[in-house]
Amino acid sequence: MDDAPLLRVDAISVRRGGRLLLDAVSFDAHRTEILGVIGPNGAGKTTLFEAIAGFAPLASGRVAHDDALFYLPEAIRPWRERRVGWCLEFFASLFAREKDVAAIDALQLGSLLQQRMGSLSKGEARRVALALALSTPHPILLLDEPFDGLDFRQTRAAMELLRARAAPGRTLILSIHQLSDAARVCDRFLLLDHGRAIGIVDEKNVDLEEVFLALE
Amino acid sequence: MRSNDLRELFGSTAFALLLLVAGPLVGMSFIAAVGAYAEASGGLALASALSPLDGILVPTLGAYDLLITFLVPFVAIHLVATEKSSGVLMLLLQSPLRVRTQLASKMIALLAGWVACLIPAAIALLLWRAYGGHLALGETANLVAGHTLRYVVTCSLAIAAASVLNGAASAAIAVLAFTIGTWALDFFATGRGGWIAEAAAFTPAAMLRRFERGLVSLDAIVMAVVASIVLLVIAAAFLDLRATTRKRLVMSAIAIAIAALTFAVIPKNRSADVSEDRRNSFGAADERLLQTIATPVTIRVHLAAEDPRANDYERNVLTKLRRTVRDLRVEYPYAGRTALFENDDRYGTIVYRTGGKETVSRSTTEEIVLDEIETLAGLTPPARGEAVYPGHPLKASPRGAATLFYVVWPMAIAVAFVIARRPYSRRTG
Repeated sequence: MDDAPLLRVDAISVRRGGRLLLDAVSFDAHRTEILGVIGPNGAGKTTLFEAIAGFAPLASGRVAHDDALFYLPEAIRPWRERRVGWCLEFFASLFAREKDVAAIDALQLGSLLQQRMGSLSKGEARRVALALALSTPHPILLLDEPFDGLDFRQTRAAMELLRARAAPGRTLILSIHQLSDAARVCDRFLLLDHGRAIGIVDEKNVDLEEVFLALE
Repeated sequence: MRSNDLRELFGSTAFALLLLVAGPLVGMSFIAAVGAYAEASGGLALASALSPLDGILVPTLGAYDLLITFLVPFVAIHLVATEKSSGVLMLLLQSPLRVRTQLASKMIALLAGWVACLIPAAIALLLWRAYGGHLALGETANLVAGHTLRYVVTCSLAIAAASVLNGAASAAIAVLAFTIGTWALDFFATGRGGWIAEAAAFTPAAMLRRFERGLVSLDAIVMAVVASIVLLVIAAAFLDLRATTRKRLVMSAIAIAIAALTFAVIPKNRSADVSEDRRNSFGAADERLLQTIATPVTIRVHLAAEDPRANDYERNVLTKLRRTVRDLRVEYPYAGRTALFENDDRYGTIVYRTGGKETVSRSTTEEIVLDEIETLAGLTPPARGEAVYPGHPLKASPRGAATLFYVVWPMAIAVAFVIARRPYSRRTG
């Protein structure tokens, strides 16, 4: 892991409708690292990602990053009337790129290319969304619940793919509610509860379930 | 421009339904118009002044008025609302595609859709020509341009509503509420004069009426274009999900202020009369005389808005005077009241003032009004000849139209829709 942080989040707060959704959250993310953001429902994981990506206005604090970042929201199903193959080609072409064939193979999307996006199951749509995010050139990827709806094999395949994509120098920040998944794929963990960063777990072997229960 | 909007529009069920409805609706209007025109062509008195603009063009293209008011907003809203709700917008905002490029792409797609929607009108006009009917290029092109402007304004409004509000239903209600509001303004402003009448002259329906009369109005065109740009600027401000509320409001306020300023400074009543029968113009000699009046001309109309004479006077005389007299001020003292039940001796009179002189008349006839004004201004009314417009009567039956519009068109749209949605071959695999 490179020591220079690629992304620095400095005491950011987000307020919406008079409610404090994030309260002075700070953390760094480094090159080649996969950082997991874990916390109970309503902890502020999605708000944190939206704030970092600029989609939620900051009440205070700042987000600093020299390289571009891409945010993949949770549960999106873009271009429902279009076919999967077209979506992958079209989105990559926006960045003057070819569709990511390696990601398509790893995520087992080959058989879905002729299907309409609207006809896909939740897990299939999530795998397509992951392929879309990985086809972007951004060095920092924020993936909100990337394994949601995926079965065990698909999750493992997706994790291997993410690891392979982080290794050359990308930074991945994942919001994951399945702690076992988080433990398998992430290098470090940011613990979030009620909009506040409770701490950073640097060790891979820590019992996340214990930590999670402590948050509750 | 890399964009999905053209595919999204032409592949959408909403647009297919719009196209499907356009054929029979235009066809029904056309068939009824040809029949009525043939009947009118039988009577000698009517036939001599029959104009295809009133008899065929306006009613046939009037079908688009319905489409633009009730269906087009849903199609335009669909383009934006689905992108917002499906997550496409968030993805695109992180791509090199700028918001303004996305909006331009949507407008281009919608204009392409409009061209497709106009195919039934083109078929109707070709049929009319095939029956031996007459069409004047200027008034035909002007009317199509008027509907096109109305379409663009409606699409811009729908896109803005879908951008500002969450949910397609809310956006649709907002657009329909706006339309009903403009109808109310239009109705309320009739026979009132003043700023309310001036504002009502720029409702989409009122602007379209000018084109239907064969007028190319500078202010109507400029305001339609400015309104569309302002609405798209507002849409851009709200579609940029990263923009702060303050930035969105400031951008919107600036755009609205520019529109208001344009409205204030744009010269009103500058127009060209492209109607073949010159219905919006006085005779050349009268026009030359009226244009020499340097002092303001004030006309005080003691007629209630509900009085048919007021409507007649407005349509046949004031419309022309506004285009001709340099400084014309029209006052409606009964604005807002029916006045029909008031014991006012002045009711029914029209008072003309210019250069410190005044005259009163009860006539709403063009020649008499012209004599009054010209004499009041110290001018000698010219000799006036009979109108030379020959009329274009035609007793034709709309043969083949029903089959084309009610059978062939819906089948063609259905087949095109099925082809557009059938599975690709292996080309994307």
